[in-house]
Amino acid sequence: MAVKVSTLDERIKLTDSADSPLDTQEYFINMGPQHPATHGVLRLMLKLDGETVREVIPVLGYIHRGIEKIGEHSTYRQFVHLTDRCDYLSAMMNNWAVSLMVEKALKVELNDRIEYIRTIMAELERIQSHMLWWGVLGMDLGAFTPFLYGFRDRELITDIFEETIGCRLTMNYIQPGGVMDDIHPNFVDRVKKVIEYAKPKIDEYEELLSGNVIIQERLRNVGVLSADKATSLGVTGPVLRASGVPLDLRRVAPYGVYDKVNFEVAVGSVGDCWDRYWVRIEEIRQSMSMIEQLIDNIPAGKTMLMKPAKKTVLPEGSHYAQLETARGILGIYAVSDGVSDKPVRIHMRSPNYNNVWSADEMTRDSRIGDLVANVSSIDIVVPDIDR
Amino acid sequence: MGLATEKAPEYIERMPGGSFMLTRMDQVINLARANSLWPLTFGTSCCAIEMMMATGASRHDIARFGAEVARPSPRQADLIIIAGTIVKRMAPRLRTLYEQMAEPRYVIATGACTISGGPFIYHSYTTIRGADEIIPVDVYVPGCPPRPEALFYGLLTLQKMIKSGETVRKPGIRKKPVLSALPPDVSMKEIEAQMQEALEKDSEVDVEKTRQGLKWPTGI
Repeated sequence: MAVKVSTLDERIKLTDSADSPLDTQEYFINMGPQHPATHGVLRLMLKLDGETVREVIPVLGYIHRGIEKIGEHSTYRQFVHLTDRCDYLSAMMNNWAVSLMVEKALKVELNDRIEYIRTIMAELERIQSHMLWWGVLGMDLGAFTPFLYGFRDRELITDIFEETIGCRLTMNYIQPGGVMDDIHPNFVDRVKKVIEYAKPKIDEYEELLSGNVIIQERLRNVGVLSADKATSLGVTGPVLRASGVPLDLRRVAPYGVYDKVNFEVAVGSVGDCWDRYWVRIEEIRQSMSMIEQLIDNIPAGKTMLMKPAKKTVLPEGSHYAQLETARGILGIYAVSDGVSDKPVRIHMRSPNYNNVWSADEMTRDSRIGDLVANVSSIDIVVPDIDR
Repeated sequence: MGLATEKAPEYIERMPGGSFMLTRMDQVINLARANSLWPLTFGTSCCAIEMMMATGASRHDIARFGAEVARPSPRQADLIIIAGTIVKRMAPRLRTLYEQMAEPRYVIATGACTISGGPFIYHSYTTIRGADEIIPVDVYVPGCPPRPEALFYGLLTLQKMIKSGETVRKPGIRKKPVLSALPPDVSMKEIEAQMQEALEKDSEVDVEKTRQGLKWPTGI
């Protein structure tokens, strides 16, 4: 299979010469890397015809820190803390992916306590990530109030993390062989209280934003991504599920204790921004119900099964593990030579990298305002794209 | 005018029916600058979330210190809070943003990455080891990422710096505030001895017993 590679300069040049005198002049404009609506340092090259967007070309690399390269120089346990800094809104799920890969390769059997704690933590993380997304979506579309609401409720979950882990954002909690430390004695009570507090808040969110006419107009039938196109782009997570493909690793290939809880996979029908919005709101609800099912039944047991100081050498060959973060499927691929405790090559299949390319498909031939809604509804975290 | 009369060197003349105050123009201008900093929304990675928590969100409200008007355009901002790693590709853009900002401009570097490269200091081929290689930095806020309170401390330090520094005639020359100065009757050796004592005392702890003995807060 031959792949044609073109540079950014070539793409801009080719279209310039294609203009006929009868057409309006098409032109290119930069959005980013310093732009408040791109959630960080994403740069989008927009091919515009008036206010109509003809093409969106994401230009990456403005936060490329070489995490995969640093991973080749660090042990697996050291690599865990770097994954926090990729997708910092699903930090613990990133840690889990590395741990899962190591445990799978070494065939470590975990006890139920570890699995329960991991699952509860991951679901809490998913809730706070979606709450932040909800607030930022409101702000991107011109409503500042959701931002305050979302961040207010997210703080409570951050407090829980801080109590158990000692950190608010980059946790480094889930490690190969278990979790860093046992949960705080206050953890169970506090989680219950927060869930009890946050459940009616989701309805409040719905009242505040979902029923709003402006939001409906901005989201409905905007940025439609068909199921075929989404699958061929490799899009995962809520974006894919909103297009009507019920692919959720928690259901399809369960890890942790997802096979023991009852939950429904939220699936959209049209694949527009509204479906993506709704899928995430529904996921918050499902996560809350999952936590409610698990929180009372955390069994007793040890919380770390591998000795942290012991050298961890994976068997020779390649190892892969994947799980569902708040944004989609994160896969960790590592090649080991069977001698060193450091991987020969480590690669991350990050959900955001695949998701960001769908912005072009969604936005083609619609307006600049819709682009902001689309990018916001994909919910990208730029350091995870560039790594 | 409590703050103004406290901080500015002034001369107050009592007169029948009130009083008038004499002070230096520099002091008044610096006071105004320090209390109305307009930050640029510049966030590259994780620290940006904590910065958003600090500036925008409701629990930690940076408006209390007069620095809540976050501007997306560098032309309208005079404070840049560098939140997140700066890599080689972003470095020229950061320099451009800094140069586009209005004078006098101030820089706070938050997080380990902008101080030294942080977790990416070794084996990374792209990370800039410290944002001060690109632009001059006034205040460093350590942490990975720093808590919003730490950012506030950095902001208050910057405000002290502005109030006690730069004059209008000689812009760009700032006095560093001495925040870490020891009280007059305390020496470093005494502190070290105290720390050693505390370490020895705390070296043997029964974690389970301590946990059970503590009373945990019950409210949310």
